[in-house]
Amino acid sequence: GPLRPTEVSFLAESTPITIIPRQRLDTLPLISLTTPRLTPPQRATVPLWLALILKKQKRCNIVPPSWLSSHTISGILQWEHDNPSSFSGALPWHWLELSELLLEAASDDIPDANVGGEMDLRVLLRALREVRQSKARDGLKQLEGTYLLMNGLGMMEITELRGFAGMVVDGLRKLGAT
Amino acid sequence: MDDILAEFDAGAPSSSSPQDVEHLTKFWIAERTAPEILPYQGDVLERLMERVRDQISLLESSLGNLDPTSSFRLILVQTELERIKFLIRAYLRCRLHKIDKYSLHILQTPEVRARLAPNELGYMKSHLALMNNHYLASFLKNFPENLRRLDDTVGRLSMVDEPDMDSAVFCKVNRDVDTEITIRGTDAAFELKRGEVLVVRYSAIRELVGNGDVELI
Repeated sequence: GPLRPTEVSFLAESTPITIIPRQRLDTLPLISLTTPRLTPPQRATVPLWLALILKKQKRCNIVPPSWLSSHTISGILQWEHDNPSSFSGALPWHWLELSELLLEAASDDIPDANVGGEMDLRVLLRALREVRQSKARDGLKQLEGTYLLMNGLGMMEITELRGFAGMVVDGLRKLGAT
Repeated sequence: MDDILAEFDAGAPSSSSPQDVEHLTKFWIAERTAPEILPYQGDVLERLMERVRDQISLLESSLGNLDPTSSFRLILVQTELERIKFLIRAYLRCRLHKIDKYSLHILQTPEVRARLAPNELGYMKSHLALMNNHYLASFLKNFPENLRRLDDTVGRLSMVDEPDMDSAVFCKVNRDVDTEITIRGTDAAFELKRGEVLVVRYSAIRELVGNGDVELI
C-alpha cells in the first residue's frame, strides 16, 4: 500500500545538510556514501540522519537550509494565498519532514525557531501546510477529467492526500464506466 | 588516464553503491505504488547485499576496539547498515505481499511470472501448495468434485485475484512525452511535460514507467 509517514521521514533523512563540526572525525567508508573528513570549524555536507546523530552527541551544529527561515516561509505563504490554483515550487521535496526533524533536533541552530508571535517559524510553517492542504483538497474535488496535476507539492503532503486522491480518481473512473 | 586511476583508487565495486542505494530507493517506492509486481532488480540487490556483508564483517572484526573514537565510528557504520537493511527488507517485503495476494494470477501469466526472482518463484509455489493442501484438508474434500477448483473463471466472476491496473497512482514526469495520453473509455487526452506531478490511473502510464519517462512516487 501507500508509504506511511514514518517511511517518508526515513526517505527524508538521506537529504544532504550542512553542518559545522565541533570535533574531528576521519572519513568513513559507508555503503551509501563515504563521509567527508570533519575538521572544525570547516563546514561539511552530510546526510541528515548523520547530522542528527552528530548534533545529538554535541559533535556539530547544524546550518539550517536557506528556505527554513521566517522571511522565506512568510513569502511563500503570501504566494500561496495569491495563487489559489497552484502550489509554490520553492519548497524542497521533503520540506515538511525536514522542518519537523530539524526543529525538533536543532532549534537552537535555527534563528527564527523560538521568536513567538506571528513571525514565529513554527506558526508560519503550520499556516503554510494548512493553506496548501486545503488547496489540494479543493483541487481534487474540482474534477479535471481523469487526471489531476499536483506540481509543487512535497512528498509528505502527497502521501497524506493519497487516500483522498485515490478515492476521487477511482470515483471518476466509476463515473466514466456508467 | 585520470579515470583509470580513479577506478583503481575507488575500487570498482564500492564506487557504484551510492547510486545503487538511490536506485533501490526508487525501486521500492515504485513497487509500493504500482498495483502489479515489477521486474526484480537482481543486480542492484546482489551488489548491495555484498556491501552489507562487507560492513557486517568489518563490525565483527572491530569488536575488540573500545576506544571512544573507534566505537563512535562503529556506531555510525551500524546505524547506516540498519538503514540499508531496512530498505532491502522493505523492497522484498512489498514484493512478497503482492506475490501472496496474486499468486494464482502470477502462476498463470508467464509474462508476470518472469518478473520474479528464482527464490520468489520457489516461495510462491510452496505457498500455493501449502494453501491448496490446507483448503483441501479443511473443507474442499467435502465439496463435490466439480466445485473444488480454486481458479474457477466460469461465469462473470473470476476466483483468480488480479491487480487493479486502473487504480490511481501518483507519478512524476522525467522527460517530455511526445505521444498524447488517453484514458480508455473517456474523452480525456493530454500531454505530459517534464517536471509535472500528477495522479492518474496506472494503466494510462504503465508503459512510460517501463521506459523511465515517468516515475512513480
